[in-house]
Amino acid sequence: MGVIVNGRYLRTFVLPLWGGICVVPQALAELQSLEDSVMSGISGQTGITLEIGLNATIDQLSYFDDGNGIHLEDFRIASASNPGSGAFHRVAIDIGADASLNLDYLVEDRRIEFGDVRLAGAPGVSMGGMFFDHTLEGFFRLSSGGSLSGAGYTFDTAYTMTGGRLGYRTNGNEVFLDDVTLSVEALGVTMDAIPGGLLFTAPSITGSYNVGAIRYSSNPLNHGNSVDVTTGTDLPSYGSLSGDFDLSGETSIGGGGRSGEGIHIDSQTTINSANFMYVDDGNAFALKGITGNYRFDDLRIDVTTDWQGREALGLTLGALEGGFNVERIELGAAGKSLGSVNMNFLFEDQVVNGVGYTNAIYLQGGGHADAGEQGLRLAAQWSLVPSDFSYTEDGNRVIFSGLQSWGQGDLTVNVTREELISGTEFFDGLRIGFEGIKGGYRINGLRVGDEDAPLQGGTELLLALGFYPAYEFELDGHITLGAGGATGDGITVNSDVVITNGNAALIANPYDEGAGEIVQTGLWVSDLNYDAHLRNMTIDITPDGFAIIKGEAWSTMDIGNLRVGDKADGESFGRFVIQSYETGSTMTITPGGAGAVCAGGTGGDSAACTASGGLWEDRGDEGVTIAMTQILARAVSDTKRNAITWEANRTLDGAGNPLNDTGMKLVLNDIYTSDGGDFDGDGVEDNTFGIQSNISVDVFQTRVVKRDDGADSLGVVGARGDERIMDPTAAEGYRYVSSPTVADIQNRPLGFAVQARAQFRELSINNIDLVHPVGGSQTAIYGVKMQNFDINANLTATPMP
Amino acid sequence: MTPMMRSYLKYPFGVAAVLLSTLAQAELAHLDDEVLSGVSGQGGIYLSGDVTINEMGGPIQNSYFGACDEPGKKCGARLAYRLKQDGGWFVLDDIRGSFAFEGLTLRVRHIDSGFGGDGALFNRDVVELGLPNVVRYQDVQFKLAASSTARPTDPGFQQTDLLSIEMQGDVTLEGNLLVFPTGNP
Repeated sequence: MGVIVNGRYLRTFVLPLWGGICVVPQALAELQSLEDSVMSGISGQTGITLEIGLNATIDQLSYFDDGNGIHLEDFRIASASNPGSGAFHRVAIDIGADASLNLDYLVEDRRIEFGDVRLAGAPGVSMGGMFFDHTLEGFFRLSSGGSLSGAGYTFDTAYTMTGGRLGYRTNGNEVFLDDVTLSVEALGVTMDAIPGGLLFTAPSITGSYNVGAIRYSSNPLNHGNSVDVTTGTDLPSYGSLSGDFDLSGETSIGGGGRSGEGIHIDSQTTINSANFMYVDDGNAFALKGITGNYRFDDLRIDVTTDWQGREALGLTLGALEGGFNVERIELGAAGKSLGSVNMNFLFEDQVVNGVGYTNAIYLQGGGHADAGEQGLRLAAQWSLVPSDFSYTEDGNRVIFSGLQSWGQGDLTVNVTREELISGTEFFDGLRIGFEGIKGGYRINGLRVGDEDAPLQGGTELLLALGFYPAYEFELDGHITLGAGGATGDGITVNSDVVITNGNAALIANPYDEGAGEIVQTGLWVSDLNYDAHLRNMTIDITPDGFAIIKGEAWSTMDIGNLRVGDKADGESFGRFVIQSYETGSTMTITPGGAGAVCAGGTGGDSAACTASGGLWEDRGDEGVTIAMTQILARAVSDTKRNAITWEANRTLDGAGNPLNDTGMKLVLNDIYTSDGGDFDGDGVEDNTFGIQSNISVDVFQTRVVKRDDGADSLGVVGARGDERIMDPTAAEGYRYVSSPTVADIQNRPLGFAVQARAQFRELSINNIDLVHPVGGSQTAIYGVKMQNFDINANLTATPMP
Repeated sequence: MTPMMRSYLKYPFGVAAVLLSTLAQAELAHLDDEVLSGVSGQGGIYLSGDVTINEMGGPIQNSYFGACDEPGKKCGARLAYRLKQDGGWFVLDDIRGSFAFEGLTLRVRHIDSGFGGDGALFNRDVVELGLPNVVRYQDVQFKLAASSTARPTDPGFQQTDLLSIEMQGDVTLEGNLLVFPTGNP
């Protein structure tokens, strides 16, 4: 391993990285030969003080691995505010009485940047450039003695970075963290030589950070400026970040890549505590009380080729194992909590559907082919073996057990501006592209309470939140995240996504009931082709929570077969095509569920509710409420309309597969909402009310009764009408009780409690047609108009054992 | 295979055949939980709750629709459709009420046994809707009507109310609704 700087070979050393924050001896890397004039600035009170105005450029910095090269081009260290001048450095060097080396340093207004990154074997494309502006003040102490022996070293460091900017730039457009402040203290970090490498141990790394803004620029004249140099206005911002952390861990680094030369890293980190906050115009989304740990095993870095033979910087992983817990997810001005989440995960190699998957990222240059020469392409594979994800609110925990995921494909990253290049439409923002991604996920079932609870069904409850319990897909398209929301900071989303050959479960049985993997049966949206587009959708955080406004959204979901049983060859109900076209629809997500509810009755308190025959339930402060207004627009084209088509009795091909557009169709055409008249006098019917839905979801105990006499599916005996009561001492974790006591009622099963309200003024269907493949279309119903609906529902959904 | 089961399988409309076990007790015997223990696939959900339509009124306030305590106004929902271009409209008007249920289940399962021996011959996956034992209706009402216009506020509106329906009390719904595809998809 080695590097070449302007054609000269240098030995390198590697520093430990814990989240990229412990790059300790910053000043060492910049030590330069001193001219006499510079020496005159050295004072010698308690050691040596060096003052340097550093302005250094390196045309090309190269790293070679088994003959394959990667080049950092236009590398430069200079002043950030005045690129033609040097950055001020002052380093006070002192040797302590214990033979330790002590450095006190101050770096002012420094920019470290490289203009581009190229792979030697991939001409014509590059990864883009990065820049890092900062003022840095701190100390660094090096003393003898490591954690394993006296031959090692101990580092103590603390520094504060202010005025920081960290940016990524492609083709003249850039996204950067602005006004970054970072304070870090890492004491007692040790370095020891071990067989094959170095071992770094960090007993404590603590710190805090603040990112004043995340800015976007489409003006090539801007480079690391907070304001547009042409207009003088602030660059738009995605919002700001802040947080703190307390970490510990160890990392070993050695030579040897996945093949031949390269770098080998093993690392484990404990998150003793951490907090993270995203702020949009003063309103926060916060993850508080983060704890956990993770361990990398056998991470290798090579300059190599990916599985398609493309030149890349490869990061390949043996395994990544860990667990995270977030104690509170807070949203909005009042700091109300959605609840807490926990995840235990293991990424390692596995075989799914006969295909082997691993975990690897191959960094390449270019991005989207039409976006310009600069960009980033990540050829990636991922492999998450069955893991658990849980959600807890008001002390009630539901575990989504056996979450498994796999896939591979290309992610592209470009910073783009609104323009049309070679037929491809680009938008302002950070563009994340998907090219040929084939992947999937599935969930085995639910466990309620703890990981040892029996596996239950009920993953289809996730459909209420927009997630399928199992999904396999081929994904292409992009999501472009622009800066600025509906007002001030925020995010603007433009997206075009195509899913082909998809299979998604509406109802899913387990894929492993405890005796090994079996075919996962269910009700499947199979042979799915989904084409979805979003324009100018804004995401903001308001005092109440997330506020999402869709500018224009249209999609076509073509379900080739709705199958029951197996997703590939289960019997089919036919083909369903669902088209959607919405303009100005909105959604808000607020913390807190239904709160106090009178289920099955009416009344504002327990007594009134009980008197009306209802059941008074206090579902707590946590949970989530989603309010939606869906404006279904009138059809403007064959692709922009709301319609549902059911096709059946199709002709089969030689292989027995149905041929689309050969069967009978039932078409509900041009479904739209309306306010019921033209009240503003503009000659067009108003359409502002739409379908307004409020859904509050809590994890809550619910009454479940036995449907028949005798033993149930797990052999637990009870009589029809008996209540199921959870009991850890019972063989299956529950028993049936004919007359539950107060204590029994406290142990009713957990499920999802949903309080929902849907209203609309008018919902119309223009026509309902029957379409014969030869005879053509015949209208069966010349219009349906539904008016003045207000539907309230209190539902509890409990997994079945 | 019994004649009745055979008749279900050759159901001419093809795409979705529905078996209501309580209506076919001779061949589709009532399955208790013990029998179901031999069924593979234990996913599914158990639903309970209540649904109310226009308890206090709907979102439209105009000369026709209003709150339920407004004299001369209708506070229920309205559904109109027509079968002829430029023709009149069939109407379900003033739709209101609530109903509650406990123990509606939904899952996918494979049937390859039971049903007096027909299950083995049947041998296929079905979507099973487990009916709640009791559905309680409270003040459920609507009117059947014929109307000259879709909206009651359109010019020239005329409506003839044909009959009113009110439902109150419990309805017993036992058994399982099995839904499965037949014929060419």
